[in-house]
Amino acid sequence: MPVLATADLGDPLFSHGFGLAVFVIILVKVLVAFGALLVSVMLMIWFERKVISDMQNRIGPNRAGPFGLLQTLADGTKLFFKEDLLPNRADKFVFRLAPLLSLVPAFLMFAIVPVGGVVDIANHVVELQVADPPIGILFMLLVSSIGVYGVMLAGWASGSKYPLLGSIRASAQMISYEAAMGLSVVIVILESHALSTRAIVASQAQHFWQWNVLRLGIVPFVIFFIASTAELNRPPFDLAEGESELGGGFHTEYSSIRFALFFLAEFMNTITMSAIVVTLFFGGPDGPGFHVLPWLWPILWFLGKTTVFCYIQVWIRASLPRMRYDQLMNLGWKQLIPLSLVWLLIVAAMMYSVAWGFAVAVGSIVAFLLITRAGRVSAYRRKEAEKSLPVGRAVSLQGPTGLVTGESVAPYEETKG
Amino acid sequence: MGSLNSYLPIFLLAVLAVAFAALSLVASKLLAPKRPTVAKEEPYECGIVPTYEPPRRFPVRFYLVAMIFVIFDVEVIFLFPFAVIYNQLGRFGLVEIIVFALAVFFSFIYLIANGALDWGPVKATKPNIGDGAMRTTRGTVRRYGSKDNKAA
Repeated sequence: MPVLATADLGDPLFSHGFGLAVFVIILVKVLVAFGALLVSVMLMIWFERKVISDMQNRIGPNRAGPFGLLQTLADGTKLFFKEDLLPNRADKFVFRLAPLLSLVPAFLMFAIVPVGGVVDIANHVVELQVADPPIGILFMLLVSSIGVYGVMLAGWASGSKYPLLGSIRASAQMISYEAAMGLSVVIVILESHALSTRAIVASQAQHFWQWNVLRLGIVPFVIFFIASTAELNRPPFDLAEGESELGGGFHTEYSSIRFALFFLAEFMNTITMSAIVVTLFFGGPDGPGFHVLPWLWPILWFLGKTTVFCYIQVWIRASLPRMRYDQLMNLGWKQLIPLSLVWLLIVAAMMYSVAWGFAVAVGSIVAFLLITRAGRVSAYRRKEAEKSLPVGRAVSLQGPTGLVTGESVAPYEETKG
Repeated sequence: MGSLNSYLPIFLLAVLAVAFAALSLVASKLLAPKRPTVAKEEPYECGIVPTYEPPRRFPVRFYLVAMIFVIFDVEVIFLFPFAVIYNQLGRFGLVEIIVFALAVFFSFIYLIANGALDWGPVKATKPNIGDGAMRTTRGTVRRYGSKDNKAA
């Protein structure tokens, strides 16, 4: 069994102080991670296109390079030569800033993912991950929240209606699922007693039945996976770019390399989220190792597991239709959030004693009955409000205090040219 | 105490990412053509003149979601330190967190019962504007470059 973590908290690289050797090691780690991320994004885009074509009985990209592997590179190069349009109603500064706000967090999020075990280089203990800050998994939540700004500001700054609608939808969706995501991460922290990703991985080491996916019950994993898919704006939650109703969504007005940066960030986030699912629930680089090249096996296990989740993301995209917006919000708020909260309490109580665990479980069933009842009350109030409507009036919901009748909306108002 | 040291790689990675983006933008500026026209710079509408201004106001529901999100996010933030030291807290910690969760849960029930988390219009009644017959593609859509279009 390879060593996955050192006993004490914090990055052991700095335990002997900070010197030139340490700096060089950091620099190499950062450069390797940077290059690996770019190459893996290239491969991921190719992989997604190829797998989806296979699922749809098409051939997919097969011209550029062997098996079309260099197709992404060709597409990227093409985008360099395309005209970069700046819409005349755009907020110029924010319009230029938004792709950066999307791309930089995408790079940073990978920094906390443990890629392999621990190796000795020049008398320094080096963890195979870019950075191991004590806040660990909180950094992931932080960076993914910053990513929301990229999407939101891109749509707002475009000065066009489809991007604006797409970005409002996307930001409401992303913050909604962030709560469920945070709660399922808390469940993982209950077992690992530390925020550091290295510690989370170490707490799942040794046997596969200690992986959080089994140890915590399958529910937190499912919640996290659904929430991360929604956070990524990937199908079936890609309402931000529902092309049937919004053109291209928040990046409708972006062209040339600015569009490529959004595209890059999106696929980079897909890879990183798969890696984080593996880290939190599937033991990260944990797996059987051998005496030949002991440092290599954890990396291979990590890459293998991450590839499986990348494949599942592509599979989901090829299989599931896009959700409707109210279904999306209902799933996030009325199902995932209460379920993750209740599961958190059950796990916490079970860790204290089984009797408490069962008591809390019974309590949660009562809680879900209450939520169902509340939903019925809300539906009843809706129906009552509908009865009092005059014919031919469109009505919008206005707030928690009740229903407010809106102005009748003429669908086509001609602007005089 | 080298806790800040462990953020150095993250900082370096951020610098690299910004440099990468900046280089791409510069390369695009050097390589790409720059031939803007009126139609290209207009907001996207498949080439026709937009009939709506981009909305400056959007439904209050989105603000509401943001406000409710703050409640849950604050709850999650309180739960993180609790989860880290849960082992040392014992029964006290468990009871405290159940009370805390109940407080949030009851407000959640109130929100659902009042329809704060319902989406979509109550009734999708279309107002009868009575000019359905007059609306043809030729009559209502004005394209860039067409004769009767003064905006383009």
